[in-house]
Amino acid sequence: MHPVKTILGLLLFSLWALPGPSWCMEVKSDVHRYRNYELSTGYYERYEVRPGLNRPLIMDETPARPGILSYGPGTATVRVRTRLQDAHAGIAFYEGRTCVDCHRQQGGDNLHVVRNDLVCRQCHGGEPISSVNHYYSPLNKIRRHAYICAKCHQGAGISYASYLVHEPNPAMMSTRESFPLLFYAFWAMIALAGGTLAIFLPHTVLWGLRELFSGGKKKGGDES
Amino acid sequence: MMIRRFTPVQRLFHLSLILTFMMQTATGFGRLYIETAWGKWLAGLFGGYTGCLAVHKWVGILMLVLFLLHIVYAVVQIARGKMRGQDSLLPRLSDIGEFLRHTAWIFGLARQPRFDRWTWWEKFDYWAVFWGMVILGSTGLILFDSLVSSRVIMGWGINVALWVHRVEAILAILHVVLIHFFVAHLRRSHFPMDKAMFEGGVEVDAAKEHRPAWIERLKAGGDLEGHVISAVPTAMRAVYFVFGYAVVVIGALLVIYALINAPRVTW
Repeated sequence: MHPVKTILGLLLFSLWALPGPSWCMEVKSDVHRYRNYELSTGYYERYEVRPGLNRPLIMDETPARPGILSYGPGTATVRVRTRLQDAHAGIAFYEGRTCVDCHRQQGGDNLHVVRNDLVCRQCHGGEPISSVNHYYSPLNKIRRHAYICAKCHQGAGISYASYLVHEPNPAMMSTRESFPLLFYAFWAMIALAGGTLAIFLPHTVLWGLRELFSGGKKKGGDES
Repeated sequence: MMIRRFTPVQRLFHLSLILTFMMQTATGFGRLYIETAWGKWLAGLFGGYTGCLAVHKWVGILMLVLFLLHIVYAVVQIARGKMRGQDSLLPRLSDIGEFLRHTAWIFGLARQPRFDRWTWWEKFDYWAVFWGMVILGSTGLILFDSLVSSRVIMGWGINVALWVHRVEAILAILHVVLIHFFVAHLRRSHFPMDKAMFEGGVEVDAAKEHRPAWIERLKAGGDLEGHVISAVPTAMRAVYFVFGYAVVVIGALLVIYALINAPRVTW
């Protein structure tokens, strides 16, 4: 048979064998349905789900304002409460603040917030917000896959929950300690990509210039 | 007089690679840049953030199928003895020598190497697709259904897979748009477009200039007449030209907007 026909036939066959469209869809629609449901019941505290917050498009580039409520010696109670049920008890004007006022980095280091429109409390829960290390916290490692991940990602298991939602910057030296595989994989890929481009980009530019200025006759062949 | 450089099947593989690669670039950038106005517009062409992923996964599977088909095709061609000697795309030691001589020629230190059928950069581009397919395809399969893959690997492997997928994709896009498109379209000796991959052949005179060793080898083997193909109709040449430039312009715009918007994305 003609090879073009064979290939076209195999292509058509492979199209038939592809998974249905629903397999390809992300669970994003569930996220929105879930969020709308939660918003409508007022499950969240008012100050975290104020309308118009437009969470995935935080254009405000101002850094976190420690200001008069700095996370320092005067607020040491915050630090010693990281294993307690209410990690935020005793913070002044707590009701008037949003999570990212203090947890600035955590608001921008994950695709759930930045791209998928989630808010902190959809995973970290309502008041009182306990530390993830607290025994009864829904985000405790022993149950987070079932209590948190599976709300949107149906069927999530312990392995699935080990995906780092708050992903460290893979380029940082600190990541070599906290997530070495990500650090080394990232830098290996950067070395590959950077090395390839570092050699061939200047090479291509010089090559183009060489042909451009090599006389009236079209070059690139045997001559000169 | 035109002599054959690529068979219809090889051109079909290249055409499908163009179409799938551009689709993957557009849908991938649509998601990567979803925080920016440009990314939203781009994603909107494919049904938004989720639509982009659906298209990206379908086309990714298609690419892998085509890749496997190509391997089968290449093995069959090798078995039929069509890829012997200088007709083979396998790298040789002489390619390194040609690369060095070619670089020396750029600086005016040597004469151009006498290229045979495949130049070193054509072999590099060919095998770059293999390396890209393996890295992007394997990480893409991990990301295809994270719930399933997390049963095989640990969930944090998905963080790693996404970053590897991302960096390799950016490398592939930059290489294709900045280097491959430049070499095929904008070099003076091939400006405005090297249509060999679309028309299937090249003019003998041009081939004598650019690939003298190939023509001499064909002549010595008495094979030159066997490689002559009929001229391509003008209408088809116009179609190839418009299509080729459409892809170049789209690719260049995608890269330009991606570079402009890169600082506005949460990486």
